[in-house]
Amino acid sequence: MSKLNLCVVAMLATLSMNGHCEDYRSGERRVGQGGRPGEAQAAEWRAKRGYPEGKADAADAAATPPVSAAEHRHGGAPAAASGAPAISGKHEEGAHSGGRPGGMRSGGAVWLSDSPPMRGDGSRSGSARGGGMGGMDMGGGRGGPPMKRLWPRVGNDPQKSGFAREDAEAATEIMLVSPGKSEGEPLKMPAENHAGLAFEMPAQGYYRVYLTNRKLQGDKLSISVAKAEVANFGHGGDEEEQARAMLAPRFLESAPIEIVRERQPGEKQFFQLKSGDEQAYLVLQKGLPLQGARVRFVSHQGWSKEAVSDEQGRVVFQVIRDYYPQWSEFQKRFKAACLVIAEAEAAESGSYKDQSYSSVRYQATLSGSYQPSPDDYMSYAWGLGIGLLIVLFCGVAVYLYRRRRVKPFQELRFNESK
Amino acid sequence: MKASNTRLQAVRDAVNRVDLKNFRFWFQIVAFVLFVYGGYFAIDLGSRLPFFSCGYNDEGRAGICYLLPLQHQLSQPWPRLFSLASIAILTGFLTFTLWFIVLNKGWCGYICPLGTIQDWITALRRRIGIRYSTYSESQFEQLTKVKYLLLALMILIPLGVGGGLFSHDVSPPFCLICPARMVLPAFTGDVSQFTIDFSSKTAMVMTALGIAVTALFLVGSFVRKRFFCFFCPMSALHYLLSKPALLKLKKDGNKCTRCGDCYRVCDMGIKEIADDVTTVNIMTDDCTMCLKCVSSCPENGTLKATFAGIPIFESTEEGFIKRMGKGLQHGK
Ligand code: SF4
Ligand code: SF4
Ligand code: SF4
Repeated sequence: MSKLNLCVVAMLATLSMNGHCEDYRSGERRVGQGGRPGEAQAAEWRAKRGYPEGKADAADAAATPPVSAAEHRHGGAPAAASGAPAISGKHEEGAHSGGRPGGMRSGGAVWLSDSPPMRGDGSRSGSARGGGMGGMDMGGGRGGPPMKRLWPRVGNDPQKSGFAREDAEAATEIMLVSPGKSEGEPLKMPAENHAGLAFEMPAQGYYRVYLTNRKLQGDKLSISVAKAEVANFGHGGDEEEQARAMLAPRFLESAPIEIVRERQPGEKQFFQLKSGDEQAYLVLQKGLPLQGARVRFVSHQGWSKEAVSDEQGRVVFQVIRDYYPQWSEFQKRFKAACLVIAEAEAAESGSYKDQSYSSVRYQATLSGSYQPSPDDYMSYAWGLGIGLLIVLFCGVAVYLYRRRRVKPFQELRFNESK
Repeated sequence: MKASNTRLQAVRDAVNRVDLKNFRFWFQIVAFVLFVYGGYFAIDLGSRLPFFSCGYNDEGRAGICYLLPLQHQLSQPWPRLFSLASIAILTGFLTFTLWFIVLNKGWCGYICPLGTIQDWITALRRRIGIRYSTYSESQFEQLTKVKYLLLALMILIPLGVGGGLFSHDVSPPFCLICPARMVLPAFTGDVSQFTIDFSSKTAMVMTALGIAVTALFLVGSFVRKRFFCFFCPMSALHYLLSKPALLKLKKDGNKCTRCGDCYRVCDMGIKEIADDVTTVNIMTDDCTMCLKCVSSCPENGTLKATFAGIPIFESTEEGFIKRMGKGLQHGK
């Protein structure tokens, strides 16, 4: 076993050389079949932008100077340093107060998690189901539709964020968009933080929850939208319903800002993001792409990478590998939570609750999850080796067996002299 | 009326004279291309197919073998399994049955890509000139039960997984040891199944077992015709449902001379096909409905394939002679 362990460690070490580097590729254009907007779509968006709907103006947002991509790290260094995560860049220790991950210019962002604080994200992921944004919790009583619970949390680190506390000055609105609906329906704020936002998922498809906060600070209006997309699919469910769900729109036209995870080419309903994957996100404002938004991807361990959205509102991150347990405790279905935070400022003026403002600060979050890359625990060499060995062994065994049964030719002689 | 009758008879005679070997060869190729590459042409026939159109062939499949969703459905947590999900399981099973009863085991003899691959391996062996193996009668009797054992395990293990008795790493159990999982995706260039999963001991054992079975499949089907079909749980499931099937293999024992030709050509080595002169519905659980026996029988109307009671292909002396003239590969 120890030999095997060594082998596996060596394998992991080699793999980690290329599997973990997060990277922003603004210039690169991939041709995706997924939710990737085409040129025609972009043109349509540009045309639509001309409408005086809302006071938001792309030019304002675009005028926001792009923030140079800086890498942050906080929390302890990931364990098992064979092939340490190659996040190039600075290590900003001490940049955060009280051990809380800071970094965002204005304290923590509100986001929707599928586990409450302190339970440790991903801890339930030993089983294939539950956990992550793709799963569903059992509930709704025996035989009832599956139930999902989400907890509004605040902070920029998936593991360390606490419960989001209610802010008396802010106006909060929670919407649930069910599959097949283009409008959201209001969802009640939990009476207690621990209860979380609970909702039933009777239909197959993607359920989206939007938690919007509006707050006036001086002459600046802050609008934040925390979003979660929960996939609810069952094996053997209605296939037509599943197909419809894959084609349904995934953004809300009324959302002041939101992040949409772009589908991977050929993505199916049971998709799961893996370490090493490249993932694109779109930042949208009222359903239209927002250029120049600062977008940050924060991994389970709190590693982060920042990028600026292009004219299609698009950013691409490569998901890092930051799960390094003892090999005996390794879980291939470990669901690590991740967080995408987008921010933009706009010189919009107007009035909110009878008070005027001269600028708006937008913030959007989208939570998600990723699992270890199969390259971390699958080995072709062993597969091929075992296969060839057995083919060879069986082939030789059959050959020898047949040889043994062939009786050597014996000439029959009769002694006729007798 | 009379004219149409004679025309029908002419068609029947033509069908009975058909070069079955050739017909089947091309039919299998078309079916193989359809089910292994049909996905590239956006063909999707659902996930209840009664043969091994492997679901792991993500890109190319034109539909999914029923065993995959069945095992997934059965491995759901028990509270869900015995309430909401049971409806989905029942409708799934019904759809599978509807597919199945159309062709009965003809799915195996003419459509199943894994069956076709075994036939191709057999053709290769024949070309190289290596002789084939058969089981002795007692071996046959023991081994024929294996498919029922696999079918039972394929149902019980997922139930155990859903009840928390086994780890998810053994699910779906049969797929993990099914050679189609490795062989079919390889035809579209996807060799990702040829791996050992080191994430847990169970996963390691199961993936190694899967590779071992695939290796055995390759060697086995090289030395024995339709080696894997003999152990296939799908074949067992077929047999349990075969009563209402539309396509049937029938025998008229009164006309049978027990010459044994049919037995000699049978890839599965089914002895009853020659020996049994009392049973009318002669299809056994190992049969793949390849109809080679019908084509090699020299007695008029002894063996026949019927669809919904109407004979569609039957043994005739004329057809036999014609096919022999073309060099039917007797017992090779
Ligand atoms: S692995 Fe075998 S049983 Fe499973 S889906 Fe593929 S063909 Fe069917
Ligand atoms: S018995 Fe053979 S031909 Fe039939 S489903 Fe199984 S593998 Fe395919
Ligand atoms: S009994 Fe006839 S149809 Fe069945 S497998 Fe044998 S030869 Fe084919």
